[in-house]
Amino acid sequence: MFEAFLAGFSILFNPETVFMTFLLMAAGLFLGMFVGALPGFTTLMALAILLPISFFIHPLLGIPFLLGVYKGGIYGGSIPAILVSMPGTGAAVATTFDGPALTKKGQARKALEIALFASVTGDLTSDIVTIALIGPIAAVALLMGPPELCAVLFMSLIVIAGTSSGVFVKGLLMLAVGLFLGMIGQDPIGALSRFSFGIAEIEAGIPLLPMLIGLFALPEIFVSIEKKASQIIQAKDLKVSGARLTWAEFRSCGRTIARSTGIGTLIGVIPGVGQVVAAFMGYAAAKSASKTPEKFGTGELEGVAAAEAANNAVNGPTLVPLLTLGIPGDNLTVILVGAFIAHGLRPGPQLMEQQGPLVFAILIAMVLANILFIFIGYLCIPMFAKVVTVRKSLLLPLTLIFAFAGTWVFRSNPYDLAILVIFGAFGYMARKLHFNVTPLAMGFILGPPMEYAFGQTVTLAQGAIFNYIVFERPIAAVFVAATPIITYLIWRRSVRLRQQFGTTD
Amino acid sequence: MRSRNLLTSLVGAVLALGIMSTPDARAQYPEKPITMIIPLGAGGSHDRNARVFTSVVPDILGQPIIVKLMPGASGQTGTAAAATAKADGYTLLFTHNYFDQLQKHVKKLPYDTDKAFVTVGSINSGEFSVIVRADSPFKKWQDLVDYAKANPGKLKFAHSGNWGATHSPALQLFTEAGIADKVVMVPYKGGGPSLRGFLAGEADFTFQFISTILAQGDKVRVLISAGTKSAFPGVPTFKDLGYSADIGKMYRVIMAPRDIPADRLAKLQEALIKLQEHKTYQRLIKAIGEKQEYINGPEYEKMRPMQSAAYEKMIEGLKKK
Repeated sequence: MFEAFLAGFSILFNPETVFMTFLLMAAGLFLGMFVGALPGFTTLMALAILLPISFFIHPLLGIPFLLGVYKGGIYGGSIPAILVSMPGTGAAVATTFDGPALTKKGQARKALEIALFASVTGDLTSDIVTIALIGPIAAVALLMGPPELCAVLFMSLIVIAGTSSGVFVKGLLMLAVGLFLGMIGQDPIGALSRFSFGIAEIEAGIPLLPMLIGLFALPEIFVSIEKKASQIIQAKDLKVSGARLTWAEFRSCGRTIARSTGIGTLIGVIPGVGQVVAAFMGYAAAKSASKTPEKFGTGELEGVAAAEAANNAVNGPTLVPLLTLGIPGDNLTVILVGAFIAHGLRPGPQLMEQQGPLVFAILIAMVLANILFIFIGYLCIPMFAKVVTVRKSLLLPLTLIFAFAGTWVFRSNPYDLAILVIFGAFGYMARKLHFNVTPLAMGFILGPPMEYAFGQTVTLAQGAIFNYIVFERPIAAVFVAATPIITYLIWRRSVRLRQQFGTTD
Repeated sequence: MRSRNLLTSLVGAVLALGIMSTPDARAQYPEKPITMIIPLGAGGSHDRNARVFTSVVPDILGQPIIVKLMPGASGQTGTAAAATAKADGYTLLFTHNYFDQLQKHVKKLPYDTDKAFVTVGSINSGEFSVIVRADSPFKKWQDLVDYAKANPGKLKFAHSGNWGATHSPALQLFTEAGIADKVVMVPYKGGGPSLRGFLAGEADFTFQFISTILAQGDKVRVLISAGTKSAFPGVPTFKDLGYSADIGKMYRVIMAPRDIPADRLAKLQEALIKLQEHKTYQRLIKAIGEKQEYINGPEYEKMRPMQSAAYEKMIEGLKKK
């Protein structure tokens, strides 16, 4: 294994190709970040469209290029989340808790920079852990089947509902609403229609992207409009784009980043859980470990760092099942499969044995992509941060246009605009009544995969579900047993906080 | 050649991103990019095959084909969009035989595939083979069938989702083998997860594409090979064992709205035939582990009613139990 690792180095640093490899990787990072930052465009779409380019060039040029798009895209998604509270993906929702609040304080640049450094640190660490532990990670990934996935998702939902700001019961209520909305359309297993009342448009369920923009970005705009211009920070009071992040600030987030990286890496090992859960778990853990949890959600750098480090730390382990077992860990890695096989490299156990050095060369390139990204991201941030220096009277209508345009380009369906408006109105009302919409979004995103995993578990258990979980799936049993304990702890904490501060809002 | 293809795919990529559009003066069809809807998700075998041929097609048609992925509702979202699109030859559908002919027998659809679509051509087919893990006690397919008959409900089969591309052919095979009601069908979210479940021992056997099986090496054993000629030495094909020969064959078919002008349909078919001779296409399709088995529209049209009848019979059989 170690020889293959060293051979990987020499392949990657072949003087004839190394320059092009890094150039293309840089191009991929830039392109990915840009596409990720545009509302309505997804990293998945960008990767699918750019895939054919990799057919025509050497794998050590094409695959690092696509990896660049992948990594750049995941960071790019946090840019509109921080600046205008517009999450393009579920993974960026956790970033909207503290990011936009920082922007309002005139610290957009700081927020973007901590997001960049947290992302890169999380990603880099998890990539290195991945290379070092590729064998054990593969073995664990195989053990994580539908019962474990279902148990982990259920636990995550409870934690998310419990730790989101507001009253615990209100969080659970929103979670239930989200779970119900996720059921609209076809049931995940039998594909039978439910709750769609024969409306063809929602046969396939409510589309996620318009819903997220509606829930998170529109209320933000409405609330800003309510305020008198004088109460909003005057653009000209800000320096070009706010102060830069200081080393001391980064250091103060160090523990949070380390914790989130650990959480993200662990979650990445379980196939099918993914970045959404990682970001929330990282955020929840940071909040409960903090001495000042009440500050979370009001523009805390640590909040952004926690979410971003965790969701990027998922990236490394996600590649493991692909490279070692031939099983892509998520939608994005599925596309990478195409880039591999176009060159006759079939991801699977054989690939490691026959093409070990090349696999390691790609993994090393992936590690180095992170370092490259620090520079590219750092240079681009001022450009993005400038967005918020636009006068509020222009920025608000522009954001509104972006919300509609982003929804439209997603798949050019007029019905999506209705979804956007409905959820925008709903989000605004929820905000006025002090309901947090986050558990709703999470229930909606995580409900269907959880239901699917539950259906699979029932099929696998063939009726004897208790025996199956306890005797054959001990890992799932541990998660199931831990859930009520965690729920109790969260509830107790929420009560205590309320007594201390009057409200947890 | 190489750089030109790189260029065309780059141009296609830019176009698809909607950043620019190329005005074209020629009045002849196609005078603008053609949209091809895939009612499946990114990264699947349809997507991958489409990326290959759409990166070569501009050389032949003079216009790019832009892939539009519209997954959801077991293919209904994308298929419905194509069914309601203008029949002007600028919207195509890239689907498979199970969406086209089987789905209508198991659920009510908002469109009639026979009335809505006409075949341009079938690019190739994905072929599934039956595999067990290397440590499985079953050495031959017959061993497995005998065990399943003697022990109903004991064996589990991992598939990629109900009425999806591996569930349907598996049911067809199990019906013919007489074990359709004796095997537990475990659904997974796609081919990858079903492979994970199978490798982890959650299921005893599964269907996979030949290329996926080859990548697994000696960790799995093939019991039946798809295709007319076995892809694995010493392993019988479905036909060898007396089953319908096209079991496990998922045809990847390009269709157009039924009312497409005849000359435009002919132009597309001509392009697909020319595509088969294209050197870059031949190289790429081989590289991604697929075959060139083009079936032109008129011939494929003859197969559709036969497929429908076979699936209907199978579903009737399942309902009786």
